[in-house]
Amino acid sequence: MNRLHPLSGAATALHRGVAGGSIPFFLVSMLDGVFDAVEVGWVFFLAPVGFVVGVAYGAAYYYRFGYELAADTFDIRSGVLSRRSREIPLRRIQNVDISQGIVQRLLGVAVVRIETAGGGETEAELAFVADDEATRLQREIRRLTAEQHAEAPDARSPETDASSAADRADSTGADPDPRPTLLFDLEGRELLLLSLSSVSLSGATLLPLVFVVAGDAVVDLLVSLAEPLGGPADLDDASAPQYGLFAVVSILYGALAAYLLGAAYTFATYYDFRLGSTGDDLVYERGLLQRYSGSIPVDKIQTFSIAENPIQRAIEYAGLRIETAGHGPDGSAGSQSAVPLARRRRVEGFLERATGLETPSFTRPPTLARRRYVARYSLLAAAVVAAAFGVSRVWTIPYWYASALAFAGAPIAAHLRWRNLGYAVADDHLLVRAGFWRRRTHAIPYYRVQTVSTRRSIFQRRLGLGSVVVDTASSRTFARGTPTIHDLEVTDARAIHEETRARLEAARRSRGAEGRELSVTFS
Amino acid sequence: MERLTPRVRVVWLVLALFRAVVLAGLLVGAAVALSETGLWADPPEALVPGAAALALAIGLVRLAVAWRRYAVWRFETRADSLYIERGVFTRTKTVAPYVRVQHVDSRRSPLERATGLATVVVYTAGSRSADVAIPGLTPDRAERLREELRALAIESEGEDAV
Repeated sequence: MNRLHPLSGAATALHRGVAGGSIPFFLVSMLDGVFDAVEVGWVFFLAPVGFVVGVAYGAAYYYRFGYELAADTFDIRSGVLSRRSREIPLRRIQNVDISQGIVQRLLGVAVVRIETAGGGETEAELAFVADDEATRLQREIRRLTAEQHAEAPDARSPETDASSAADRADSTGADPDPRPTLLFDLEGRELLLLSLSSVSLSGATLLPLVFVVAGDAVVDLLVSLAEPLGGPADLDDASAPQYGLFAVVSILYGALAAYLLGAAYTFATYYDFRLGSTGDDLVYERGLLQRYSGSIPVDKIQTFSIAENPIQRAIEYAGLRIETAGHGPDGSAGSQSAVPLARRRRVEGFLERATGLETPSFTRPPTLARRRYVARYSLLAAAVVAAAFGVSRVWTIPYWYASALAFAGAPIAAHLRWRNLGYAVADDHLLVRAGFWRRRTHAIPYYRVQTVSTRRSIFQRRLGLGSVVVDTASSRTFARGTPTIHDLEVTDARAIHEETRARLEAARRSRGAEGRELSVTFS
Repeated sequence: MERLTPRVRVVWLVLALFRAVVLAGLLVGAAVALSETGLWADPPEALVPGAAALALAIGLVRLAVAWRRYAVWRFETRADSLYIERGVFTRTKTVAPYVRVQHVDSRRSPLERATGLATVVVYTAGSRSADVAIPGLTPDRAERLREELRALAIESEGEDAV
């Protein structure tokens, strides 16, 4: 059994110690107000005791935490009082991620996360191990899994047996971890375009923090920014239109700040992004301050998806994401960027080489569907008008009926939604496209399909339409909504439903014989 | 196509009634609180009766849906997949191939035990696995269905899906 890095022992002990010390502090000061028997003075005695107990617990946790990489499992024993011992079969591992914050990089430690399918969280987290140990673990897990693959499932036909024997000879004979073949390298220009074109809200979460730290200075700055445009010189003494103008200008500047922060965040996240392949795995690396590196076994990939927002569509750029059943770093459940941003044609080329999928022509749902969306968005517009009317009853709003302009937006929104819908039934994949603000095109291999459903709401039944929901095991789809082909003619919906099911059966049978269909030979 | 045991309507009706009562309590309670405590200085007279009428209407719709659900629900164990049809407003037809079955549960809530019914839940690795549950079976049928599904799932020996 290996231990974690000694520094992590110190960190856990300190962390627990502070927690242990602060609990009596809060308890005593709270109970002091309620019960007479409790005195504030106890804190001076109890807090140090809590601190010592916390440190002891932290240290014990460190000494009682062990992990080991065995031939076919990854074992972890943890827990001070109630022990937990886990064996994770290597075959079940979805991906192995390493992340390193700035401080961690300075100290030469890293966090290793091992993901499996199922469960709501990361299966195993090693915080922290030395960074060369982290890379060693990642590499060894990859090597052992590859070996297992070569031995186990290919007993089906003599040819694959022969080839797997050759593979094995290769993997034992050659250097176990040759340098990964570089598949994609995010260039400076692409990184800049990515940062500027993707509107990320992650940066905006910093804004409230800025307000808390430097609220007065920010308000002063906003006042001085709004003043030349006709804003108030002093917030305490201004007329209503001046306040209104101040609010509008401040919101605009706030949005600008959020956008810039978001761009900076994206820049730092994808700085120096590289994707490579070694053996049967894809490996990636990225990050300016916080470094991430991960490896994804190719046969654990559930779906590929192309994502693009309107700006990126206008300049013909797109991103490619890989979805697995695991859980990714920074909360992006099981979805990793394979190509953060590149020319659309290049991205499609990538997808084609990875899956053998030529970009097919997409079919749109019938125009009848568009009519549904007009009705739907009109309802939304009606709600806006009703809200404006309601508010105008309480406060006087000039021209509240101007909100009726929202109705003009309904047909436009409906058309845009309809225009960006599409599907294609390819040989090995079902392609589903949807979304205007963030258009996603999912390429779902038939053999990854879990269940197929046709759904028809009462409105759809009236119009003779139906939607097909194709469920896979990728955990990304759980958060994003399962890939759905919306509002098809019901006969088409049934046909696709049947087709998908039949192709799943066929793909599953032939897959057994042919082995893996995905190849890592991207370039 | 197999249908559920008609008794399942009792389970659904009781559940619908229970939820309707809870909702009615909340709605009417909120209306009374608003008009009695003076939070709303001058509430319209129809506030409390209106809330009661709304709660009643929602309750009636719930009951009607619960009754109607039985007529729509159907399932079938096909050669290679489990087929389910359901939904009063949004009609859903689901195909769950046996290869994708991870495990099968049969379970009985207190209400189901009281009415002598059981539910079979089929888990796939998909993100919507809870979608595949067959309620309103006699315990005997649930047991047999579970065994049947288990056997079919083993027979079709899936490559591991994830």
